[in-house]
Amino acid sequence: MSLIKKLFGIVWSLMGIGIIPLVIMQAMKEIAAKPSEENWIFWSIVIVVLMPIIAFSLITFGVFALKGEYDVLD
Amino acid sequence: MAQNVTNVSQTEEVSSTRRVIAASSVGTLIEWYDFYIFGTLAKIISEQFFPKDNPTAALLATLATFAAGFVIRPFGALFFGRLGDLIGRKYTFLVTLVIMGGSTFAIGLVPGYKTIGFFAPAIVFILRLLQGLALGGEYGGAATYVAEHSPAGQRGFWTSFIQTTATLGLFLALGVILVVRQSLGVETFSDWGWRIPFILSALLVGVSIFIRMRMSESPMFVKMKKEGKTSANPLAESFKKKDNLKMVLIALLGATAGQGVVWYTGQFYALSFLQNACNVEFVQSNLIISIALLIGTPFFIVFGALSDKIGRKYIMMSGMLIAVLAYQPIYRAMYNEAALKTKTEIVEKTTIETKEAVKGTDTITTKITKKSYEDGTTYKETVKTTIPLDPVKKAELAAKDKLKPETKKEVTLPKTSYYKMIGFVLIQVIFVTMVYGPIAAFLVEIFPTRIRYTSMSLPYHIGNGVFGGLVPLISTRLVEATRPAPGLPPADPLAGLMYPILIASVSFVIGMLYISNKTNNMDVE
Repeated sequence: MSLIKKLFGIVWSLMGIGIIPLVIMQAMKEIAAKPSEENWIFWSIVIVVLMPIIAFSLITFGVFALKGEYDVLD
Repeated sequence: MAQNVTNVSQTEEVSSTRRVIAASSVGTLIEWYDFYIFGTLAKIISEQFFPKDNPTAALLATLATFAAGFVIRPFGALFFGRLGDLIGRKYTFLVTLVIMGGSTFAIGLVPGYKTIGFFAPAIVFILRLLQGLALGGEYGGAATYVAEHSPAGQRGFWTSFIQTTATLGLFLALGVILVVRQSLGVETFSDWGWRIPFILSALLVGVSIFIRMRMSESPMFVKMKKEGKTSANPLAESFKKKDNLKMVLIALLGATAGQGVVWYTGQFYALSFLQNACNVEFVQSNLIISIALLIGTPFFIVFGALSDKIGRKYIMMSGMLIAVLAYQPIYRAMYNEAALKTKTEIVEKTTIETKEAVKGTDTITTKITKKSYEDGTTYKETVKTTIPLDPVKKAELAAKDKLKPETKKEVTLPKTSYYKMIGFVLIQVIFVTMVYGPIAAFLVEIFPTRIRYTSMSLPYHIGNGVFGGLVPLISTRLVEATRPAPGLPPADPLAGLMYPILIASVSFVIGMLYISNKTNNMDVE
């Protein structure tokens, strides 16, 4: 179980890192296609609020999991 | 003799816990009510305070809806959480109640945009932010306070009463709005009647403050304070110390994020889906949600109590997993139940009525088409076209493509479909009760008393407010992306479910792998 938790730690960290370019590229693509106020507000909310929370929490959580910080919780 | 003394003392303990639960729950319920009436009346508030032709006011409207919902709530959690860990739970959540009640009451009194211009949206925006701030501080305080009064082994049961308040608050908000709207009529309600639910809050909050003033401080906090064990800096201790930060992250990613999306999907998205994708008429759609909420609410207590026996983890995780698997079939069934293309129209009953009237500087043409179907469904389509009398203005709007008619579709379901819809929503409310019923006990038990208020409030409000609060925005966006062209129906009306399914799936995997099913004894450290 401990090994699975650690291996998944890599998955969470990669997901956290991967989400940043993915969201930014999607935002740029959609805003370029239709630069409406609605689009700007939506992507601002996603980039300023949601993305940092997901990225930071997944990366940090993944690193903790990889280091075995959660091994004691069974 | 000794047996009698034990029995009397146990009865007193239960009675005292009941008083604590009642006093805490009433206040929290009122705070949720206050928070939801703004969201439920968003359309009317927007017309009164945030006119579309003023871009700044329109921007404020968007910010008021979203900022208070998710940006401000975590700040409230940090601010009041810290205060609660420093000076005590009782006074802190008394303050949040006063702020929430005061702001709600004040929104009901603010003159409209037509009377005081830009001041109106600016004032309402500030008051809405205060509401979000207060809500951020309230829940953690109430959950902590009740948990710290509850006997060990019954914490899931007692805190589940706090868990019912968010749903009951929504139920109360919908109920009050429906009653006032039905009593005054739609026009009067839109004109000034919408203020009544806001003003009513003052009375509710007044009663709740009176009850809370008579409550005593949490026994765990009092003991800790007496022993000089309170934290000098709850924020630093909560989020800078690795041992606690890792629990904050597990609470957020493994529990509250999944809980948040299941909660918002089962209640808010279900209502939005009924009204926008299924076009179910306003009163009927609100009744469907209200009845499902009312029937489902006792299950918060059922699952809270069950979590004392079998652990919090498996109930919460089961709720998430079943929700992930069941959302697509449930929403497909809801969509099909209201879909007119599967029904047989009684053509001879179709009526078309056209009205034209001059209102101010505009000519308003209204075309109302009414249809009936063999299964008892009725359909009403209102197409309203507003054309300025001034030909220059008319040409200007035509050039900007702003002369498009507004179309309102209303489906009134027959009894069988109506009951089926209640059933579909009720199933989702049961998922909500599974993930939400035990979560207060879970959160309070993974953090130490000295920083509990701060530590549990933040992941709760990020999970519920940010991940959950974004369900309507992101899901609507996902559905819109499948619309082939403006005016045409979306190719995949269920596309919006992708967001809650994805978040709940990740939360489920993290929760299953990393959360412990053991219950902490929650002693004062």
